[in-house]
Amino acid sequence: MIMTHPGLPDAWLWFAIALMSLALLWVLLRTPTETAKQHVLKVERIPVFGQLARLFSVSPWPLFIFKLISVALFLTVIAAGLFGTPIPERNLATTLTWTVWWAGLIITVFFLGSAWCAVCPWDAIASWLVKRRLWRRADESSSLGLKVPKAWRNVWPALVMFAGLTWLELGVGVTTNPYATALLSLLMIIMATVYMAVFEGKAFCKYVCPVGRTVGFYGQLAMVELRPRQQQTCIDCKTLECYHGTEEVEPCPTHLVMGTLTQSTYCTSCSACTMSCPHDNVGWRVRSPAAEAIQHARPHWDEAWFMLGLLGLTTFHGITMLEFWEQSLSSFGQLIGDSGQLIWSFSVGMLLVFFAPILLYSLLIRLTKSLLPVAIDFKQLFAKLAFVSLPLAFVYHIAHNLNHLIRESRGFSDVLINPLGRDTLPLSSHELHMRHMNPLMSEQLLYGLQAGLMIFGFWLALQILQRRTIETLTDKSIWRAHYLLPGVIFITSVTAFNLWLLVQPMIMRM
Amino acid sequence: MKSLKIILAMVLFLLGIAAAQAHHVLGRPAYSLGADSNTPPSMQVETQIGDFYVTYMAFPAFPKPNQQGRVNLYASRIDNGLPFDGKVTFKVNDDSWFSGDEEILGIQDIDDSVFRQGFIFQKEGDYIITAEFESGGEPYTIDFPLRIGEPTPVGPIGITVAILFFVLITVNVLQRKRRFSLKAKRAREEEHS
Repeated sequence: MIMTHPGLPDAWLWFAIALMSLALLWVLLRTPTETAKQHVLKVERIPVFGQLARLFSVSPWPLFIFKLISVALFLTVIAAGLFGTPIPERNLATTLTWTVWWAGLIITVFFLGSAWCAVCPWDAIASWLVKRRLWRRADESSSLGLKVPKAWRNVWPALVMFAGLTWLELGVGVTTNPYATALLSLLMIIMATVYMAVFEGKAFCKYVCPVGRTVGFYGQLAMVELRPRQQQTCIDCKTLECYHGTEEVEPCPTHLVMGTLTQSTYCTSCSACTMSCPHDNVGWRVRSPAAEAIQHARPHWDEAWFMLGLLGLTTFHGITMLEFWEQSLSSFGQLIGDSGQLIWSFSVGMLLVFFAPILLYSLLIRLTKSLLPVAIDFKQLFAKLAFVSLPLAFVYHIAHNLNHLIRESRGFSDVLINPLGRDTLPLSSHELHMRHMNPLMSEQLLYGLQAGLMIFGFWLALQILQRRTIETLTDKSIWRAHYLLPGVIFITSVTAFNLWLLVQPMIMRM
Repeated sequence: MKSLKIILAMVLFLLGIAAAQAHHVLGRPAYSLGADSNTPPSMQVETQIGDFYVTYMAFPAFPKPNQQGRVNLYASRIDNGLPFDGKVTFKVNDDSWFSGDEEILGIQDIDDSVFRQGFIFQKEGDYIITAEFESGGEPYTIDFPLRIGEPTPVGPIGITVAILFFVLITVNVLQRKRRFSLKAKRAREEEHS
């Protein structure tokens, strides 16, 4: 029996459209300032959170304990996947991985940045195996420590991995296959270990890991960041312990220098810099959301593709959970004589949805290029404005995930008690109905959050578009609002499509 | 001693009630549940191939070695919903990388819109059941997996451990070689100086 989540009601849809229209008017009519204002607050000044952040910054123990918990859960996932029931909704491997973790992870990025990477289990296992140290600095001979070849120093591998993961998730159905979920987990351990054993630092996290890069790019929108307390202290520093490490503390695994850090994309929140800094000059601070995407993050061609890829693939997630997708796939499968699994039809559909926003974006970048009064290279402008896709992907990703999380994670406590799902049967119609009718939060609250998120994403995307476009002008006095029009068309089209997706009833995964 | 016997008898009596209740599902004895019951434990998959919608069900959902099981297959035309009424051949082969052996389970006629194929597997493992039929001169082949007994988890874990072991040992050996050659180089330099 197929159950569907109800879509966003019309009232919420119109409310979102009204606020988005106001936001659009405001952005088009106002004259932008030279630089965007950024508000920051040191986390140490916030009661309780300040002490907690301090605890994690000065001692390796708290993080180590969290890593242990995360590794224990991860190993249980593997055991459940290999030894447990193949019924996905009764097995910890599928429920924890796809319903709770993968759906919830994206939400945590906004509040905690790349905190996941600090406790990532496959990285922890790889580190322990290769370095043979639980937290202290390892002997340099533990890894071959080769430099990553220049041609590999980009996020193309991560984009391919992310697309591959989506293909496995939605096309092959890994999300409903505990055994395949366990195999995927083992594969992550192997890849992380091989990379760590061969290359210096954490090359796998930086260039290959689809989870790490997704967290990293979405992290540009987070409301927290790790930065120097006093910029001057970093300018005067000649020893750069944050970069080189100390006798006890590892160097920055992704080769970041705190004094010049402007974006957290590659920060893994490992706390090495906070622990190694002899001046105690590195700390967490709360900032305006999306500050990096709006102005601090540096544009790169491969990163632009990753961000646009995120947008295409998150939208694709939504499309595959609509009833019309099944029917279209069936018709297309018949047309091309596909097998019963419809894997070719699915792959073609995925490629189309992946490239559709990129194609639209490219066309509009050409248009922007012709409108701008300055000469700018296409690739440069493509990379510069691609940041607008981040909030669009991020808010839809969360809005979509909330649907899964609040209904499908019901009954998770039963799975925790019986992680292998021994002697269980598939969900009965009654249980399915109960999950459907008793979400973790009220439906109205869910709709409010979804509408709010879409408005927020639209607003952030407009901010990014305006700031990044004005940056291309050497003389700010020649600014005209119509330079934004192609970008506005892109943002509005994507938002309108994603809103439409949210309005449709969505098929429940489990 | 007498009171102990009474307590023991009461416990056994209560356990007996619990056991008897456990054998009933919604008021019906569990032993009456089977492939033809309206609530049997089963794995069901729906798929589409060519002009047909195909549904197959395996009973029980997770059969064990030497346990009798059955596959039911329904095939109906997409355009008019009419069931396919020819013959369906059921075959089986091992779902392993190096296995090419295929065995015919049986050729079945339609029975009340369903093609039913019984099976008993003696060995645990992952199998592929293949259903083949012909319609309008076109051959149709549908594969679906069937697991008998518990899976063999040693495979993936063994492979993972072997790969990790190989990588770590190789890195260790290479690093040792590096260190030795570095030492030798330094020694040579010291000799020359």
